[in-house]
Amino acid sequence: MPQLVTVKVNRPDRRPVRVWVPVLPLVLVLFPVVVLVVLAAIVACVVFRIGVVLALGAAWRVISALPGARFDIEQGRTAVLVAIR
Amino acid sequence: MTEQRKDILDMLAAGKITAEEAEQLIAALERDQAPATASHDARSKGKVKYLRVVVDATDNGEPSRVNVRVPLQLLRAGVRLAALVPPQALVKANASLSDSGVPIDLTQLKPEQLEALVEHLDEVTVEVDSPDATVRVFCE
Repeated sequence: MPQLVTVKVNRPDRRPVRVWVPVLPLVLVLFPVVVLVVLAAIVACVVFRIGVVLALGAAWRVISALPGARFDIEQGRTAVLVAIR
Repeated sequence: MTEQRKDILDMLAAGKITAEEAEQLIAALERDQAPATASHDARSKGKVKYLRVVVDATDNGEPSRVNVRVPLQLLRAGVRLAALVPPQALVKANASLSDSGVPIDLTQLKPEQLEALVEHLDEVTVEVDSPDATVRVFCE
């Protein structure tokens, strides 16, 4: 599971923005929202006749595989970096 | 059955070698093949972990660069998630793709084929060079 998401934004004539997001504390803070999202996903699975366990398992695999992903985009003096650890 | 093993059995059937000699030759053959198979498995499963996409381009005179690193495990997980898409959604996607001039039948694309594709990505390197941009797709 991802532990830390780093977001860096550099824009010309503005101060660079660097944000480190600890995932686990954020999930704990947003726990009620997470529960609602999971419930909505379960309802969607039932409506579209998709195996709930299979779908939740696949979604968990995607979340678990996120660490190591890195997206770095630069254009001129503007740069955006998103790194998941 | 491998070609070499078949040759040994043929020699045994022709009476050129004894059963004991055939057994020794087959044992030696298995010893030789085991390390080669193990090293191939290690290369295909252990070392390569990420898919990299690097784009260097010049856009309106300004240099631009895209550097994306995606874990191969994420691609595998995505394939499993995509396998859950209901058939009726695939039919609609097929119609939209066909309208856009991309006649691909997504219902014919099996998850096993996609997983095999991801498994063999480590051997793929794509390089595109043009005057304005360079694109590299590779695994590391």
